[in-house]
Amino acid sequence: MIKFFILFLVIQGVLFGGELTEPGQALFVLPWTNFLATLSADLVRGFDPNVLVSGKILQSTANGFAVSIEAGCNGVEATIVLIAAMLAFPAPWKNKIIGLVAGILAVQGLNIVRIISLFYLGQWNYNVFEWAHLYVWQALIMLDVLIVWLLWVRTLPKIERSGPGDPPPSSAPAAA
Amino acid sequence: MRHPLTRFVVTVLLWLPVCFAVWYFTAPLLTLPMQWLALAVTKLGFSDMITDVEKSGTLFSFVTNLRPASATSFTAGKAAVVVDSQALVYTYGLPLFAALTLAAIGLRDSVRLAKVLAIGYLVLLPFQTWGVMADALKQLAITMGPAIASQTGFSPFEREVIAFAYQFGTLILPTVIPAIVWVLTERPFLERMSADLGVRDQRSGIRNQGSAKP
Repeated sequence: MIKFFILFLVIQGVLFGGELTEPGQALFVLPWTNFLATLSADLVRGFDPNVLVSGKILQSTANGFAVSIEAGCNGVEATIVLIAAMLAFPAPWKNKIIGLVAGILAVQGLNIVRIISLFYLGQWNYNVFEWAHLYVWQALIMLDVLIVWLLWVRTLPKIERSGPGDPPPSSAPAAA
Repeated sequence: MRHPLTRFVVTVLLWLPVCFAVWYFTAPLLTLPMQWLALAVTKLGFSDMITDVEKSGTLFSFVTNLRPASATSFTAGKAAVVVDSQALVYTYGLPLFAALTLAAIGLRDSVRLAKVLAIGYLVLLPFQTWGVMADALKQLAITMGPAIASQTGFSPFEREVIAFAYQFGTLILPTVIPAIVWVLTERPFLERMSADLGVRDQRSGIRNQGSAKP
């Protein structure tokens, strides 16, 4: 268990540090955030034509309200946590790759719901928007990560599911 | 709601609003130990620049001996830079932890529930203090501009470390630490749920096999 947590924190620190570097921001975070804004706007246009997108900013043409998708709202950090948790957990690589693809889709899918809901909450009531933005959605996204990880762990073969800190299933006597 | 994981998730979602409400109204009291910790850290590492940590509700104010950029020679003797940090931004993981714990333990085993909640609260405190401290240092070393930053004496590398500590303390720690503490404190529950899910999967597998027979 300790090995898992140490590995989890190290992978997370490395990925998070990489995300914060200038190349990390320029090559991945900003293009990804812009893509999220465009995708959110495309989805919103399905039922509301009064939306404009410019870079990472989503704006209502009806009342001028705009949201800018910043760090913490692009789901990158939640994805990093999920990646670290799956890579650190002892499991076959096949399970890890399947888990990562499905997990990232689940986390980013809910994050799109977060962005769109905040876009409308902000137009309705700014205090509610602030609460949902700063506290509620942050907790819900982490709950999503936790559930995805728990679901993934239960799909693993039995040896891996016995827990990272448990002794290996061996008949050899422990060294004295 | 027979599926153990669905039942668990629904229970967490039902507890979350309650826990958020309790957290919000008790936060001025719950964040009191953060002030003591911040004062201790300040005395140990930043006493040359931060002279006091005041608290009003959940708003922390770090009083410094740095001179404001706009201070004139007349006011410079009295004026000092004070930076504020909102503790709620770094403590919202507590209601998440409480909701997860309540969903896992329930209200029946009140002794264990109180014990786990107390452990979680105490473990989260240093990480929450990290958040407000890093926020205050980031404001002094970076956000407030070169006139203030130059007085802090931080090297460019130290400013990078502060920026990283701030980002990590804002974007990762508030939610990840509660999840880690919950996994560690509720391992028996996780194993039980995993076993329940396994039995359920086996049963549904048998049913599927049975129905597939001609």
